[in-house]
Amino acid sequence: MINRRVEKGVARGREFEIEVDGEKLRAHEGETIAAVMLAAGRRTFRQTGLRQQARGYYCGIGLCHECMMVVNGVPNTRTCQTLATPGCRVETQEGPGKLEVAF
Amino acid sequence: MKEAELLVIGAGPGGLAAAVEAARAGAKVTLLDENPQPGGQIYRQLPAGFRLTDPKALGRDFPRGQKLLAEFAQVRERVEYLDEALIWGVFQDSEVAFQRGQNSHSLRYRKLIVSVGAYERPVPFPGWTLPGVLTAGGAQRLVKIQRVLPGEKILLAGTGPLLLALANQIVDAGGQVAAIVEAGRIENWWRLARGAWGQWPLVADAWHYYRGIRQARIPLLRGHIITAARGDGQVAEAVVAEADRQWRPRPGTARIFRVDTVCLGYGFVPSVELTRLAQCDHRYDPQRGGWIPVRNEAMETSVPGVYAAGDCTGVAGSLVAVEEGRIAGIGAAQSLGYLSAAEAHPRLEACRRRRAGLLRLRQVLDEISMPRPGLYELAQDDTIVCRCEEITLGEIKKALREGPTDMNEIKRMTRMGMGACQGRMCAAALQEIMAREKGVPPAELGFLNPRPPVKPVPLPVLAGHQALE
Ligand SMILES: Cc1cc2nc3c(=O)[nH]c(=O)nc-3n(C[C@H](O)[C@H](O)[C@H](O)COP(=O)(O)OP(=O)(O)OC[C@H]3O[C@@H](n4cnc5c(N)ncnc54)[C@H](O)[C@@H]3O)c2cc1C
Ligand code: FES
Repeated sequence: MINRRVEKGVARGREFEIEVDGEKLRAHEGETIAAVMLAAGRRTFRQTGLRQQARGYYCGIGLCHECMMVVNGVPNTRTCQTLATPGCRVETQEGPGKLEVAF
Repeated sequence: MKEAELLVIGAGPGGLAAAVEAARAGAKVTLLDENPQPGGQIYRQLPAGFRLTDPKALGRDFPRGQKLLAEFAQVRERVEYLDEALIWGVFQDSEVAFQRGQNSHSLRYRKLIVSVGAYERPVPFPGWTLPGVLTAGGAQRLVKIQRVLPGEKILLAGTGPLLLALANQIVDAGGQVAAIVEAGRIENWWRLARGAWGQWPLVADAWHYYRGIRQARIPLLRGHIITAARGDGQVAEAVVAEADRQWRPRPGTARIFRVDTVCLGYGFVPSVELTRLAQCDHRYDPQRGGWIPVRNEAMETSVPGVYAAGDCTGVAGSLVAVEEGRIAGIGAAQSLGYLSAAEAHPRLEACRRRRAGLLRLRQVLDEISMPRPGLYELAQDDTIVCRCEEITLGEIKKALREGPTDMNEIKRMTRMGMGACQGRMCAAALQEIMAREKGVPPAELGFLNPRPPVKPVPLPVLAGHQALE
């Protein structure tokens, strides 16, 4: 597998680990959870409720909500907008999650 | 309740330019953006924690962004700039509501400049919901700012110059681009050359991007269109066909690219939720991206004192956004009494001239890239059109047989547009599909009424909403 982290032109921040569905993934200060997922080659962020389809990172700017995962127990977290923090626990979201936001 | 003299929403190229001009003239500017840093989509900065070791890695727009940010730095002390402030509603009596951290506040304004940008046009086709299919802008964000490649073998499909830029960025980052699939055709090189005449920085960009693609030996397939993405749980291949002038695939021309990633860029849809909530009049202009606010020469909308600038008024790119922002900023400062007409005039003229030149080129590019009818015929009956509520084209057609006459009616019948994206990922396609099925012009179908909060706000935060004193 190629190194999906591009080393050219930037120096990344401090390295740490996060846990995704029980697996430990390398992360750096400043990386979003979505970037950590994609750098590790993980593409499925959530499973839809009605048709059980896999969905992943799509718009990248916080609008589509396809990248929603359960982060530290909080469902419907848009991982493209959420920075990875040392030790955070992330799970693939199944279905709509418990809706806690108004929209 | 606190009243801002001039409230600017959005710190992208448009909003920053507006804030700079108004603050220079002496106006008291309050600038809000939901992002932690100014710069908007194109001049987005590296996240805290990352350190730049080679500015070239951030692409050709980076120095332009630095120039605008430097202008902003000069007035920074006089501007009340609230970062991570998400405007979630605009209400009667010149009032806006915004979320910042765990708090929600309202604020009044005397003059308002809206410059909230655009988002990528979603186009439903078989397989577009598979993981590994993403927007070109989302890919760019990932490569430029997070410095992560979205996949190993990448196909770019859609239309317009952004695909060329993205291909270069991916290659420069060490990634592999299988092909660029461009639906449009350059029918008239002479017209294009005339439009580009004088726009030398943009011509230099184009030249640089074409050279990069040739050097990397990336096939550029003009007049081609992606018709499907396939794979089990994620993308494994993409089907590409020759397209006719209406962007309909020609039978018997399909070929398959074995790729794990597809980046889609079919242009942008203006974000009009806030100008809608502010009661501004809008019109439907497919060439500018769909519904856009109606404005006069001063960038003022149909609501006096409410201005709109940049991509949220019809997509025209960052350089136009800057000129429009400046025009709106100068105009607002003038109407607040900080500039006389004689002082404002020469400044406005310079911006208008630059804007007109840029728009001439834009017009030609838009003619090449404007979505053609074939684009919205790619979806099959079992293709998902509404990602959030998982509604297929077949279900939409079925609902249409019951005779809904406008967008809000079909929304109620199918739940389309009721999900978390609030219709941003389906309304543009639904408008065109419904118009085709019913045989009426899209504009006659109305639009999905935006409701506050226009972006999700946690309920406990809403519950604690307070006016800013
Ligand atoms: C993902 C993406 C990538 C792009 N990449 C390129 C590129 O590489 N090259 C290129 O030429 N063009 C690119 N474009 C187009 C380019 O970004 C625009 O032409 C340009 O940025 C327009 O400037 P603007 O000020 O109108 O809007 P934007 O730059 O989009 O700025 C709008 C600002 O408003 C803020 N905002 C929006 N809604 C709210 C709200 N409710 N509350 C508070 N703040 C809000 C946003 O955070 C943003 O900072 C891209 C667009 C997108 C969406
Ligand atoms: S990828 Fe669209 S919201 Fe995160």
